[in-house]
Amino acid sequence: MENLEALLHGFTIALSGNHIFLMLIGVLLGILVGVLPGLGAPNGVSLLLPLTFGMQPVSAIILLSCMYWGALFGGSVTSILFNIPGEPSSVATTFDGYPMARDGRPTTALATAFGSAAFGALAGVVLITLSASWVAKVALAFGPPEYFAVYFLAFASFVGMGGSPPIKTLVSLAIGFALAAVGIDTVSGSVRLTFGIDELVKGVSFVVAVMGLFGIGELLIAVEDEFHVKAISSRVEWREVIRTLVQLPRYGWVLLRSAAIGCWMGITPGGPTAASFMSYGIAKRLSSRHANFGKGEPEGIIAPETADHAAGTSALLPMLSLGIPGSATAAVMMGGLMIWGLNPGPMLFVEQKDFVWGLIASMYLGNVVAVILVLLTVPVFAALMRVPFFIIAPLIVIICTVGAYSVSNSYLDVVLMTGFGVLGYLFKKLHYPLAPLVLAIVIGDKAEDAFRQSMLMSRGSLGIFFGNALVTTLVLLGTALLVLPVIWQSFRKMLLRSPTGSRRP
Amino acid sequence: MISRRSLETATALLTGAFGAAVVVSSRDNGIGWSAAGVDAGTFPFIVGLIILGSSVFNLATGWPGNDYPVLRQNELKRLARLFVPAAIFVGAIPLTGMVVAAAGYVFAALIWHRKDAPVFAGVAAAGTAAALYLIFELAFQVSLPRGVLGTALGF
Repeated sequence: MENLEALLHGFTIALSGNHIFLMLIGVLLGILVGVLPGLGAPNGVSLLLPLTFGMQPVSAIILLSCMYWGALFGGSVTSILFNIPGEPSSVATTFDGYPMARDGRPTTALATAFGSAAFGALAGVVLITLSASWVAKVALAFGPPEYFAVYFLAFASFVGMGGSPPIKTLVSLAIGFALAAVGIDTVSGSVRLTFGIDELVKGVSFVVAVMGLFGIGELLIAVEDEFHVKAISSRVEWREVIRTLVQLPRYGWVLLRSAAIGCWMGITPGGPTAASFMSYGIAKRLSSRHANFGKGEPEGIIAPETADHAAGTSALLPMLSLGIPGSATAAVMMGGLMIWGLNPGPMLFVEQKDFVWGLIASMYLGNVVAVILVLLTVPVFAALMRVPFFIIAPLIVIICTVGAYSVSNSYLDVVLMTGFGVLGYLFKKLHYPLAPLVLAIVIGDKAEDAFRQSMLMSRGSLGIFFGNALVTTLVLLGTALLVLPVIWQSFRKMLLRSPTGSRRP
Repeated sequence: MISRRSLETATALLTGAFGAAVVVSSRDNGIGWSAAGVDAGTFPFIVGLIILGSSVFNLATGWPGNDYPVLRQNELKRLARLFVPAAIFVGAIPLTGMVVAAAGYVFAALIWHRKDAPVFAGVAAAGTAAALYLIFELAFQVSLPRGVLGTALGF
């Protein structure tokens, strides 16, 4: 009940003319970056970040989070109409969305995607509404060891469940940690890892890394294959939209299951991309019509879209209540929170009630705004896709460059960003995940501080991480997540090998 | 043509070198336990070792069976066509300043692909310069780099 009251109060904040306007702007910009190749939600949010410094924190977060919803929706538009995923998390939507659109049912495909996406997002927000303050209350009792254990759990679940090769995830994560350590150490005040470059004392900003890794890197990947934009009619027939939405509840079980997968992957930082693939895979295996998958099966659109949006939304739960972002974009937003002078974590629910509940209320409204706007603007953004890539590419390079420069008016950041671009390309090409790197840059310092404070408390004994039931459970859970995939893999290898001769070389 | 193997090797060497640099550099900050608690270099030292170790693992596993090509001639060409001008643009910023470099970059990129449309390229370049100036310098008060050229001209 207490939550509902707070939520109603949140609605009074979110429902002002100013905030509705920011939602519209945010969603439109979000769809734009979602549609454009090379620009995605993490970049878009980082680009807008410097422009929010003069705003009220609650207005700023509404703008940024709505941009996130817009980008999630925009990514699906290009996946369905052009077979080009605008966002990594909408790759799985192309499998059935594009075939359905190609077969002359683009409106059905879009409406199915947006309807299930809205359901997924709703599931995520309801989860946040019901459990956020409870999680925060539990977290208020956390000391440094518990915090470190939660960070450890988050990082371990990336390695174990992220879906990328575990050791490559580890490299990505550790590089992020090292980059977070560059500059002045917050505990001792000494300067670390500047490699003789004085300017590095200020550290490496996550915005610079995001611009390079996701912007330039993505662009280099996109330019590799020749762009063949095949025009599918992008006219939206409203009667068909309504008909599709009315029929959506027939897939109730798929919706519920995919939302559950999405929420789980969003909270434990598996991220939207892993969630959508996992959900698609499970739907394909369990469906009675699994022969139809890949040929325009509605379930093949519903499953990844629901999970994608549920994960994207619920990624904000651990960010708000624990200070641990569940996705790369959530990490960027959390960086913003810290710049605005807020301290993400349980104290937010005590000290910044207006901010938290205004944001949560805006998530309900923002997703409604996003569904309507995306349906209205599909033809406009589809036309944008027909602008040749050689015109868009230099513009995106310039946007990323200015974005990196404007973080702290430093040319070094621009050079670093270019380097991150090359790294991002190599990592993407070789299936190293990028999100852990960004996450580690944002919260690496906090994880390290938690570890060092725990060590101070225990005078250097690691026993403090087994000091009470809570912290022990967290540490053991993290270790299990880390080790289980390795055991599972070797187990599978053994199974494959044991019936001799069954496997041909 | 570039094989998966060479790309894996190059990346592993790159990350490994970074890991090694972190390990070496963190030793300056002290490793282990001192009167003030865990020394500042400890965490980076461990992280550096993890990067180094994992890179060696990736180096070893990236080698066998990966001799198929992942980048063909024409893909490489397309990559270079995007990256080389972008790198020149970034390199030109300290000389000509952000606005001039960006305009030149847009102009060159468009002329390259459409030799018959110099007017269009010129308009696009001027538009880029104007947009950068209006949005960043005027609206958001971000002072973009002037470069040697800008300083010489007295901006």
